[in-house]
Amino acid sequence: MSELSATVMNLPRRDAQDKLRGRTKYTNDRVRPDMLHAVLLRSTVAAGRIRRLDVSAALRCPGVRAVATGADAPGLYGIGIADHPLLAIDTIRYHGEPIAVIAAETEKQARAALAAIMLEVEPLAPVSTMAAALQPAARLVHEGWRGYEVITEGGARAGNIAWEAKSSRGDVDAAFARPDIRIVESSFTVGRQSHVPFEPRVAIGSWEDGRAHIQTSTQVPWTVRNVTGRVMQLPPGRVRVTVPPVGGGFGLKFDASIEPITALLARMTGRTVVLENTRQEEMATCLCRENAEIRIRSAVTAEGHIAGREAVVLMDCGAYGGEQVFLTTMTAHTLGGNYKVGATRLVSRAVYTNTPPNGAFRACNGVYNAFALERHTDEICDALGFDPMEFRKKNVLGDGDLGATGQVFEDDVLGPMLGRMEALRATTGTSEAKADGRLYGMATTVGTWFVFVGPSAATVNLNADGSATLVTSGVEIGSGTMVQSLPQIVAGQLGLAPDQVIVREADTDAAGLDVGVGGGRTTVSIGAASVAACAEVREKLLRTAGEMLQTRPEDLVLRDGRVEITARPGSGMSIPVVVAHAQATTGPITGSGAFTARNTPAMSGCAMGHFIDALDIPVFVVHEAEVAVDPDTGHVEVLAYRVVQDVGRALNPRAILGQIQGGVVQGLGYALHEEVTLTADGRIAQDDFETYRLPLAQDAVPVAADLYEGAPSMGPLGTKGAGEVPILAVGAAIGCAVARAIGKPVRQLPLTPPRVLRLLHEREPPPELSHIAPGWAANTLG
Amino acid sequence: MTVTFQLNGEDCRFHGDPMTPLVDILRQERFLTGTKAVCREGFCGACTVHVDDEAVPSCLKPVGLVEGCAVTTIEGLSSGNQALHPLQANLEAADAVQCGMCFPGMVMSLSAFVRDNPHASRPEIKAAMVGNICRCTGYERIVDAVADCLDQARKAGQLVGGINV
Repeated sequence: MSELSATVMNLPRRDAQDKLRGRTKYTNDRVRPDMLHAVLLRSTVAAGRIRRLDVSAALRCPGVRAVATGADAPGLYGIGIADHPLLAIDTIRYHGEPIAVIAAETEKQARAALAAIMLEVEPLAPVSTMAAALQPAARLVHEGWRGYEVITEGGARAGNIAWEAKSSRGDVDAAFARPDIRIVESSFTVGRQSHVPFEPRVAIGSWEDGRAHIQTSTQVPWTVRNVTGRVMQLPPGRVRVTVPPVGGGFGLKFDASIEPITALLARMTGRTVVLENTRQEEMATCLCRENAEIRIRSAVTAEGHIAGREAVVLMDCGAYGGEQVFLTTMTAHTLGGNYKVGATRLVSRAVYTNTPPNGAFRACNGVYNAFALERHTDEICDALGFDPMEFRKKNVLGDGDLGATGQVFEDDVLGPMLGRMEALRATTGTSEAKADGRLYGMATTVGTWFVFVGPSAATVNLNADGSATLVTSGVEIGSGTMVQSLPQIVAGQLGLAPDQVIVREADTDAAGLDVGVGGGRTTVSIGAASVAACAEVREKLLRTAGEMLQTRPEDLVLRDGRVEITARPGSGMSIPVVVAHAQATTGPITGSGAFTARNTPAMSGCAMGHFIDALDIPVFVVHEAEVAVDPDTGHVEVLAYRVVQDVGRALNPRAILGQIQGGVVQGLGYALHEEVTLTADGRIAQDDFETYRLPLAQDAVPVAADLYEGAPSMGPLGTKGAGEVPILAVGAAIGCAVARAIGKPVRQLPLTPPRVLRLLHEREPPPELSHIAPGWAANTLG
Repeated sequence: MTVTFQLNGEDCRFHGDPMTPLVDILRQERFLTGTKAVCREGFCGACTVHVDDEAVPSCLKPVGLVEGCAVTTIEGLSSGNQALHPLQANLEAADAVQCGMCFPGMVMSLSAFVRDNPHASRPEIKAAMVGNICRCTGYERIVDAVADCLDQARKAGQLVGGINV
């Protein structure tokens, strides 16, 4: 039995029964009667200066055990730049920003005591939009931006521009000056998307033997550990983070937010403290997928060659830099991906505004850049008279082609995937007949994303009963990696059945560093670390067995729970016998393994201010949508949806298909009806399930999917992340299909019925992007 | 005020404000945390329980209104070592579960539906799910599982879950 055939299977989820019976204890199911309850005093203005903050009266309220303010946790945190206090210090930068926190015996007592906090705020006119923030005379959201600690060097920064990343390859001016090209320019705007995990952000903090212990619903236990250390000004090693099953993340929980507050209160009170966002708080302060504004220009020849391309992408980071600082990097790989382009230059800016901070959301940055790039591609085809499918087949990235930062892509992947989409369509047929008199459109779009590799560690302990315990900082957020791919990988390496592999949930005291569950990285990064740990276990196991069998270790194989002589199935002995012998002679059998990024190079001088210059593992998708638009109501019905996804190697095809179905429907929400708007006073207007329109069962369609295997990957067994990218090109496919159905350009998402009606009747104004200067260079800090 | 009702087959007494949402009593006083309080406004369905065999969101049910009623939570649907309810078994077989937080409510809503609608079509199943939101799965596998469950029951000539589900 080969390593591969022992690993690939449709393993069911071991956590399904408990989840179906309601027995799984998520973090917010672990509240005990002896815990203190914390509630936050949050800002009711979008910008202001704190003139007075007196909590003494609140401390005297019934049941109150502690009150904390920014002065109690003065350290700043962030990604790239440390600009974010745990609780506002002197300055308020968004509506909903935490200012103080009360811990009391009951939640009711804590809420009652909020009224006793004396808070005086001098309101300031908020900087509400990126257009306002980029005005020359704009008020600075962070007056002291120059003084912040820069955690990662390299990005240009100035005033309300939190971070700027640029990529530049070739002579773009020369390309646009060529006599044989036509220039096509497109502008797009997209709104925010709220994750709405069913379990909100919640943490339970205690203070044990002089250290903090935080149980929390997070994707990034090590980030929570490190941020807690920063803000409390403790060595991070004095913080332990453990993670119960997580009730949905989607990227929202890829940064620390309220968790350190529970450690602070636990230290102050000596009690265990729970802090859980209400649904209203969760949605009003959601670290949303950012709103963005995009302008793209391309110089295209009559033969359909893209001679030059330039783009400006503005990303609203809200009040603090957060993930958007990092995500400026991604524009080079998403907007700069997919197509062969002669010369190219792209700038991506994270802009501070007095709005709730944004964050990471499944296929961050890629979702709207794919929409913009694919709609722009269709506008090129319209302007120059190309067939959109033929244009894509001719221009998608292939073997040896260059990306925006000069990365050399390996192998032909997108081209064959387009062919596979045509084959898939041939098997499913099309659904035009279902349009039934409505306006019908179909579009095939492509997308490029990546696997966020980076450090992971794993330890495998082989036990005397033949089971193996896998210890990592992985977290089960629902995607199944901890219950499907990881036990499959370890079992395949050690000749065990997957149910013999015990998977430990994250505990920063037990497992090594990990950058978290997100970015499609868990199966790849923790999987690779696990394979390395298994190699050490195998080596020890085979050496011990070789001594017992008087056989060379290289002549032995691990198979069906036994150590056997390769040529003689059924020979040898069971693994428990070998483990017991090892325990008595050389000691228990354990192995450890580690993994990190390969740091694939970019072309010298092409990438500026990037956290990732080139992609170690690119991931490609092809998405195809068929829609019917009701011309009377503007309602868009999705008639059919097809996906061809580059998975490298499918370890559990059924689980991947489940991720694709879920990711596509989440993308349909983004494309069609999930809309976040900000009120005049800077609040997120959609802060409950009545106002934020999530996809329901009747909005879903069964997605037909084909898993494309064999593209190069450094992942274990050739895997790539499969859970992140199913959402990548949904906005693109729906946007292009609707544009074709109605015969009007689509330049904004979501395509709510009122917007579609305005488009149909030519009453939808084009995006107003006058704050993006006509000349590309004028949109950079030089 | 004292409210008396049956909770998963046993007597339950609550002393306090009769306007207290049933979900809070289940979770905070009885530690029946399988019932999830997600939106607390009746949209998501994650807190669905059976009150006298009818599926209702427990966030919108003041405890005073269950006086004398029989309340069944997800923990009572298949307790202890009992086999899974056929609908739960079909959801497991379909690999439908992801984060899992919507499923207790989904099971409580749809177990009542399959009992009452043995011949439901796929569109009728989807219509019945309008009060249960799932953020992870994209729904189709849940619909598949319900359809499989009804199919198996029809072939066996039985109602799903018999009585009192």
